[in-house]
Amino acid sequence: MTQRKKIDARGAFCPGPLMELIAALKLIEIGDEIEVLSSDKGTAADVPEWVAKVGHEMVEVIDLGDHWSIIVRKAK
Amino acid sequence: MPSTPLFILVCSESHEKIQMAAMTASVAAVSERPVCVFISMGAIYSFKAGLSDDERYKGSRFAAVLQEKGAPDALELFAMGRQLGEMSMYVCSMALDILGWDESDLKENLFDGTLGLTKYLSDAEEGQLITF
Repeated sequence: MTQRKKIDARGAFCPGPLMELIAALKLIEIGDEIEVLSSDKGTAADVPEWVAKVGHEMVEVIDLGDHWSIIVRKAK
Repeated sequence: MPSTPLFILVCSESHEKIQMAAMTASVAAVSERPVCVFISMGAIYSFKAGLSDDERYKGSRFAAVLQEKGAPDALELFAMGRQLGEMSMYVCSMALDILGWDESDLKENLFDGTLGLTKYLSDAEEGQLITF
């Protein structure tokens, strides 16, 4: 069963949320997911770009008004 | 296809430039691009061991905003790039000599050693070189 861990990186500036995501991905199993909450607009665009570059899976990016929920599945 | 290695030469004492170098280096390293950083000239002062944040960085108006807003610390970004990606960091042997410093004067666990400019430039022929 897929596990999902949440990281609240609201208030952190680029590239802080991305770095927190990457550090967390190192600690979970393949198939599990990380949800990052970020108020940094650039992160909402940067994370999907990073995920495509390194070969994980983008689950979704949800605009929640004052922040974004970005969900990534570990694929390797 | 393997990414082209990125060589980042940091000479400026300016906080903004050191911050941008740290952001570039760390993001490239975690994006599976090999990175090699070379610290020289005035930039070396920001890497001295035992400084407070106020003492560590010198800059203009934007540097003040970086600190006021709590932007990620540049040296911590370099450290994260090393920890999470393929990144090496060297300090210029000439800059150390001129200051009368050795590696023990620098923030620990950040550098892979000292290097001369000639060797660094030779290595950089295989990749892309950016200076800050």
